[in-house]
Amino acid sequence: MSHATELAAAAGSTDPRVGLRAVRALRRLLERLEVVQVDNARRQGWSWQEIADALEVSRQAVHKKHAGRPAVPSTWEE
Amino acid sequence: MFERFTDRAREVVKQAAHEARAAGRRPIGTEHLLLAVLADPDNLASRVLSAAGVRAADLRAAVARHTAEGDAGLAEADAAALREIGIDLAAIVARIEESFGPDALRAAAPAPRRRWGWRQRQRPGGPFSPRSKKALELSLREALRLRHRHIGTEHILLGMLREGGGPAALVLAEAGLDLDDLRRRVELALRAAA
Repeated sequence: MSHATELAAAAGSTDPRVGLRAVRALRRLLERLEVVQVDNARRQGWSWQEIADALEVSRQAVHKKHAGRPAVPSTWEE
Repeated sequence: MFERFTDRAREVVKQAAHEARAAGRRPIGTEHLLLAVLADPDNLASRVLSAAGVRAADLRAAVARHTAEGDAGLAEADAAALREIGIDLAAIVARIEESFGPDALRAAAPAPRRRWGWRQRQRPGGPFSPRSKKALELSLREALRLRHRHIGTEHILLGMLREGGGPAALVLAEAGLDLDDLRRRVELALRAAA
């Protein structure tokens, strides 16, 4: 068990700090998962509109967030 | 806000900016202030910390552990926080890597948020994180409370302890220190020095 986990366990699960810290970690994880999945969709030839529909956001939002970034090259299946 | 800072305290702020840059993290966090305090073993805050049994190298390692990125590109503290709500980050990393190759999640760094008209200098907290800005503001409050005309490294430490929720307070608490006790030690040292 790490120090941080012990600390969190000691603080009790109703401590807002523990819950909010988890939300923050989850958001970081989510951002990375989104990058992985959007890049994968683009590599498979999906349009921004299709990606936007799948994420239930606007095409502009997904384009603005992901189009400027060089796509992570697939090192695996190609 | 730095007019009343002593030379040593100014040096701490400068060193904190250096620590933040060296770690590749833009906003100066409370952990950078703490490491900066410890970088000068002769300042009063540093002496109080070492008298309380704090070893600079240990705290530096603890800060690195909290901010170092693991397989998922997330800090170990993130993994611990996710574990608290029943999410096994290692399992997610394994699944993603199975489909998208080794390091897929770590390589997928999201782009920094850009906003219209956004400039470094216009950030509300300046180069400081909200918590470190708060800690510095509290250092002024502590100095006023103690009727000191200057703000020294010891007031910066008191400000960090008073703020209480930042990474600096976290690593100190993890090192087994009682923050209230530490605060009393600082005030005692101040009285002895006066």
